[in-house]
Amino acid sequence: MAPRKRIFPRQKVCRFCTDKKLAIDYKEVRTLRNFVTERGKIIPRRIYGNCATHQRKLTDAIKKARQIALMPYTGPTQL
Amino acid sequence: MRRYESIFIIRPDAGESDISEIIGKVDATIANDAGSVIKTDRWGLRKLAYLIKKESQGYYVYIDYAGLPATVKEMERNFKIDDRILKFMTVKLADSCSPEDIARETAKAKSSAPSAEDNGRPDEEFDGPDYDSDDTDE
Repeated sequence: MAPRKRIFPRQKVCRFCTDKKLAIDYKEVRTLRNFVTERGKIIPRRIYGNCATHQRKLTDAIKKARQIALMPYTGPTQL
Repeated sequence: MRRYESIFIIRPDAGESDISEIIGKVDATIANDAGSVIKTDRWGLRKLAYLIKKESQGYYVYIDYAGLPATVKEMERNFKIDDRILKFMTVKLADSCSPEDIARETAKAKSSAPSAEDNGRPDEEFDGPDYDSDDTDE
């Protein structure tokens, strides 16, 4: 359950498909932090409207960042 | 020659000589198997997202290199033995890397080094939005 109260967006476009310069990299914590709740959980794809490929890449990047202690597994994302 | 990148975290109380020694050993391991280091980036002390071996800070080092799988295995074996290294992670970037690719990437890394190093280095802590008013640190 996402803590944000939003109506499901109608025709949301994938942020990464439109903006090709946004690279999904596990080292870029600032971008990754946008896709994670305050408790550190990954936000489901239907909220943000990412396409499946990018959501998978995003999940991989977040999990890698968690492994190397750039992002927490749980708890408030400190940055 | 495959292209890898490794990040490892050294204990915060390790001195500069220790850090240089560890990086030197890594470089030697890579060069031993005729690999080549493309870029070494020291991110420096950084707050960890969770406690690792009771430490809340760590010295991050990022190495971009081309080498054989055996090199990676040897490197990780050394990391596991060394007590000063808290965590390490290796990611494969590309399956094959030709010598001219390596030369090109090395030159690119060297030329972009003096300029803003924001590409590989994650952002430092800044006062972002206050998620909770409780103390989140420590």
